[in-house]
Order: sequence, then structure tokens, then C-alpha cells
Amino acid sequence: MAMPLAIHSEPAFVASLAASDLSSYVPVMILITMAITFGIINVFGSLVIGPRRDGPTKSAAYESGMNAVGTARKRFNVRFYLIAMVFLVFDIEIIFLYPWAVTFPNLAQGTNESLIWLARILFFVFTTVIAYVYGVRKGVFKFD
Amino acid sequence: MIDVLLTLASGPTPGPMAQATLFHYLIVSALMFGIGLIGFLTRRNLIIMFLCTELMFQAAGLSLIAFSRFHLNHTGETFVIFVLTIAAAEAALALALVVLLFRRQETLDAGVWSQLRG
Amino acid sequence: MESMLTLLWPEIALFITTCVVMILGQSKFKDTRDLCPGLAAIGLIVSGFLAWYFRGVTSDAVLPHLPYYGKLVICGVGLMLLMLVAGSADRELEADAAKGKPFEPIRSTRGEFYSFVLFSLTGLMLCTSANDLILLFLALELTSLPTYVMVSISTNRNRSMEAGVKYFFLGALGAAIFLYGFAMIYGGTGTTNFEDISRTVAAQAAGGGINPLVILGVVLSLVGLGFKIASVPMHFYTPDVYQGSSSSVAGFLAFVPKAAGFFAILSICGLVGWSHGVTEQSLPEGPRVLLWVVAALTMTLGNVLAIMQRSVKRILAYSSIAHSGYMLVGVIAGPGPSGADFERNGIAAVLFYLVSYGVMTIGAFAVLACLEKKRSDGSLDEVDDIDDLRGLARTRPVLGWTMVLSSMGLLGLPPLLGFLGKLPLFTAGIGAKEIILVLVLGINSAIAAYYYLRLAYTCFIESPETTPNAPKVVEAPFAARRWAGVISMLCVVGLAVFGSWLGNLAEIGATYRPPKYVQPAAAVVPVSAPTP
Repeated sequence: MAMPLAIHSEPAFVASLAASDLSSYVPVMILITMAITFGIINVFGSLVIGPRRDGPTKSAAYESGMNAVGTARKRFNVRFYLIAMVFLVFDIEIIFLYPWAVTFPNLAQGTNESLIWLARILFFVFTTVIAYVYGVRKGVFKFD
Repeated sequence: MIDVLLTLASGPTPGPMAQATLFHYLIVSALMFGIGLIGFLTRRNLIIMFLCTELMFQAAGLSLIAFSRFHLNHTGETFVIFVLTIAAAEAALALALVVLLFRRQETLDAGVWSQLRG
Repeated sequence: MESMLTLLWPEIALFITTCVVMILGQSKFKDTRDLCPGLAAIGLIVSGFLAWYFRGVTSDAVLPHLPYYGKLVICGVGLMLLMLVAGSADRELEADAAKGKPFEPIRSTRGEFYSFVLFSLTGLMLCTSANDLILLFLALELTSLPTYVMVSISTNRNRSMEAGVKYFFLGALGAAIFLYGFAMIYGGTGTTNFEDISRTVAAQAAGGGINPLVILGVVLSLVGLGFKIASVPMHFYTPDVYQGSSSSVAGFLAFVPKAAGFFAILSICGLVGWSHGVTEQSLPEGPRVLLWVVAALTMTLGNVLAIMQRSVKRILAYSSIAHSGYMLVGVIAGPGPSGADFERNGIAAVLFYLVSYGVMTIGAFAVLACLEKKRSDGSLDEVDDIDDLRGLARTRPVLGWTMVLSSMGLLGLPPLLGFLGKLPLFTAGIGAKEIILVLVLGINSAIAAYYYLRLAYTCFIESPETTPNAPKVVEAPFAARRWAGVISMLCVVGLAVFGSWLGNLAEIGATYRPPKYVQPAAAVVPVSAPTP
């Protein structure tokens, strides 16, 4: 796993990270405090000064919406699950493409080594294509 | 063991590690691993048990990142990317298995599944 | 870099076959679907040929010829495993399709099943050629993840699901433990490359002791890998999982994860080397003591618990646990002094025994997979109880003799393959001066005789009397499984006579190249190990 660059050991980068101390978090703290205070004031304010008119319609699950039909614990079609799996494949693929894309421009273009790097990532993309073709053959994307 | 970790902690630590040394990261990671292990052995809910194994995976990931920073190379970070991938694959598999189990017997209690004894 | 690629050609060939099989298995046409097992076999043969063709290419790990040996035997045993699992998936679905129902790809598992077999074997091959902790971790996971699914879909009964979930959860636990171990090894050396790690460890050993993080990492890795080989702290899933899955998949589990675990254990032990212990040819104390205790406990527990079982699959599962214990003796013994012959080389003994165990146990599982019980309601279930095998040698001579020879081989009776495999373990153990451990090994072989002889006795001598209400035993309609059994029987006898080439191959595979310690003046001083 020879990595051509060691960015993090550059002195400037290290110094920029080291400069972070607690005082730089003060704006964030203020924002968090404001958010919490705002929430508490709203909840308690409506409890104290708001009018109360309870009724059967008021306490329905979706007020002024559609009435609920059946239970939420229905079985979903297994295809939703499979689509989630296919999504996961492409989702994870991105993790690998990013480091590759960051490193690739640093290689001398057109040399043997850069071609090998390109071939590797193409092989990797090919495996995701296989996953996609498998999904199509399995009928994951057919909704009928 | 502890004094070795202390030696590691007092070693030449660059930049950001000056405040939180390697030692602290390793302690957190070991605690995460321990919590995961104990949870796995004591809890009987399948989802919780799976979360515990994930916790153990992430504990290893945390120590890999800390070591990567300590040794000033990228190998540990690379490793973590692969660990995350494997964790995702295992999550997909675990959810599929758990859903299938739940359909056959409407509970997630591991104790119910004890057909195989002997 | 290029040499790593040439080293990986067998894996690449197998991987491409896997993809083709996976996609063809979804075809609407029965003829295309039926191509799957044949294609899988062709892929295995091609990758075996590639492994032989690139035999000169070595990995830069401490066991440079391990990939060559490993891949050749994986292809050989893999073909037998493929015959063993033939017809496992989709029996009902294919029967429905034959009756004219439309084929639904979403319900079929056939393409997946064969491609999972191949994926698992690809992972196993990668375990042999891994020269990096990251690659080893991925290879181990690639070996294991498909087997979890294979267990779950092997039959459509509840017990398979239960076995699959148990296997998966304990597998994830084992993976997490050895991953943590790998992280510690990386922490102690600052690299994940095997060659660099062993060089750093050699430098640490020369200058004031190996970093305890490395020792801790190796110990944790060994505990975690114990799941794969079913050794003591992580063994308790084995009987349940074997019983819950179908016999053919259980046969698969008996060889593939175990082989992966042993290849990984050899690599991990090779990182710290068999040269930094108390003597010149032993592991460092921590891993050595751990392996010693684990080996002794594993074989004793496996053999003692096997005696009490009535289910043949559970007997074979406990026997699988016990055999892991035997092989750990070879790991402890290590490669011996440089230039040692086969009798002193523990690694060669492990590699040889792994193959002979695989061949013998495939025979036993093939017999079980060939037989089915017909219940009164017409449903078919697998044979599991030892009484179902009564008089098998008389009613079905081929299957009966396969069972007798397999169990005699597993027992290690002198003219058979098991004996040839076990002998080097004894001699290597004595050569490494582990006399007590070798004694434990001997006592255990005697205990094991009880249940292996009982298996052989049931098949061979007892009469096939049946009570009128007992379910009828019929043969499963898969000729390939019987062939797997026959080939295994031939190997158990034939390799014992003509097996010296396999021994020579194992010796080549066990070539140990201890890391050279370079003087600190050179540029390879480890950046990692902070000197106190």
C-alpha cells in the first residue's frame, strides 16, 4: 500500500489543525443554546397561553388528512429490499472512487503505472456493472 | 500493557495529537470493543446483537485511524475504507437474515430459535 | 506490482466465471440454467491450470510458495465440493418449472448458489496469496460471507435459517475480533505489508523485544480466526450449523472456512516468525502458549463430545473441531530448522493434513447427502441419525464402503490417507519438543477411535433391520454426489499409496523464508516503533 503522497505531514497543514482551541467553538455553543431556548419557549408558551379544543377529529392520526387504512405492519414487496441492495452497491462504490480520483492526477500521465491504475479502477467499475446486470436479470427494476 | 501504552502516548506526537494522544484514542477504542463484546454476549435481541458487532468493527476502525495518524501514513485510513465496505455488506446480509427469521416466527428473541440442541 | 497481478490470475479467472454463472443462472431457459455447474467446473479447472502455469511466481510474504500449493489443492478439492453440492438449490422450483410453470428469476437461487461456491473458493485462493493485512481481511470475509447465505438457503426448513443466523452472528463476532487484532498489528509496526511487518518485527526482536502491541494483535487475530477453524473459544456453533444445513453444504463448511482459517493463521504466525521464541525455532511466548492451550482443549473437547452424539452430522462436526486441534500442533511446531525434511516441518504437515482431512470428510458428507428419508406424508428429509446408516455396506455397497473408508481414514488407520497425514504432525511435534502436546494428540486419537469405529460398525456389521413405521431410506437423485463420494474413497486409498507427490508439493508450499534483519544503518529502520 505505497501511497505516493503524505499530505498530512506538511507543516502548514499540521499547524492549521493545531490552531483549533476551545474558544473557536463559542459561536457554535451560542447557536446550540439559542436553538434549545427557542424550542423550550415555544413548547411551554403554547402550553401556557394557547387555547385547547380537544375532540375526536383533533386526535385522529392525520388531522384533516386521509383516514388511515389498515396497519403499517404490512409486508413490503421484496423488490424494495433488492433495490436498496443495488443502491448500497453504488453507494459504497463512491467511497473507493474518491481516493482513486484524488491520487490519479498525481501520477505521470501516459506512463505504465498510470495505465495500471486506470485498468484497476476500470476492473472495479466492471464489478459494479456486473452487480447491475445481475439486478436487471433478477427483475429488480420491473414493476408490474 | 498499560505502561507500554503510556510510552506510546508520551512518544513524539505531532500536531493535533498533542492534546488528545494516541493513548486516549486507544482507550476509547478498547472501551467500544469491550462494550460491543459484552453486549453481544448478554443481549438476546438479534438487532441489538448485530449492532454490537458493528460497534466492535467501528472500534477497530477507530484504532486504525488513530494509528494511521500516529505513524503518519495512509495505510490505516485505507484499511478503514475497506472495513466500512465489509460492514455495509454484513449489514445487508444481517438485515436480510433477520427479516426472513421474523417472517417465520414473529419475534427477534434469539432464545426462541433453539431447535438445534444436543 | 506486475508479479502480484500474475499471482492473481487464477483468482481473476475464477471471479469472471463466477460473474458469468451468477448471470446465466437467472436465464428463462432451462438449458442455459443447467450450464451453471459445468461452467463452474471449467472455471475451476482453468484457474487450476493458471496456478500451475504461473508456478514460478512467488508472493513476497514469509511463505512465498503457499499460493502455488494452496491454489492447486483448492482447485482439486473445489471440484469435489462442486460435485458434492450439485443439485442443492432450487429442487422444488426446478420441478415446478419442469411441469410448465413460468420460471421466476426472483424466486430462484440456483445461479446464486453456484456463484457463492465459486466466490467462497476465490476468497480461499486470495487467502493464500494475500501479502497484506487488508487483502487478508477482505479474502477472509469473501470466503465467509457467501457461506452464511449458503447455509440459510440450503434447505427450506426453519432449522437452516436458524443455523444460518447463528453462523452469521458468530462469524461477525470472529471477524470483529481478528480485525481488532489486525489493527493492533498495524499499530505496533506501522505497516500492513507482510514483508515489512516481519522485517520490522525482526528489527524489534533484535533491539529489545517485540512491541507488545504486535503480540496482542497476533493473539487477538488467532482467537478471531479460531472461529473459521472451529477451535475452542469459538467452536460451539459448529454442531448446530452442520446439523441445520444440508449435508452437502455441511461438507463445504468442513473444508473451505477451515482451510481459509489455517492459511490465515500460518500467515499471521509467519509475521512474528518461528524464530523469536524461547528457542530458535518457536513462536514468541504469547501466541505459542495460546495455541498450545487452544490445541489441547480443542481436540479433547471435540473428541469427548463426539462420543455422546447420535446424529451423524454432529459427530462429523465434533470430529471437525478435533481435527482443527490436531492441525494446530503443526502450527506450533513450525517449519523447524532450515532445510528440515518433511517429517520435521510442521507447516508442510498442516498443509498436507488439511487436504487429506478435506478429502476424507467430503466422502463422509457425500454419503449423507446421497441418502434421504421418506416420511409417511411423502416429504423428503435428510438422513441424520446414525441408525439410518445400519447395514449400508450391504444394502448400498458403494455408499457403505465410502463411509467405512472415510471414517477409517479420519481415524488415521495405518494404510490409509489419514495415517499418512497424521504421522508428520506427530514427528513435527516431537521435533519441536512439544512432548506433552504430542501425548495429548495420541490419547485423543485413541478416544476418536470409539466413534469412528462405531460409524464403521454401524455401516458394516449391523443388520439393516427396520421397524415397520420407520421412515424409508431412499437415494437422492444426484449422481454427482455419489461420484464425489467415490472419488473421495479412491483418494483415501490411492493417495496413501501414490501420495508422495502431494507430500512433495506440500513441502514446496511450506517453504519458509524468515525475515532478514537489516542493520539499523540501512534505510529500512522502522519509523514506527517508538523507542522508550
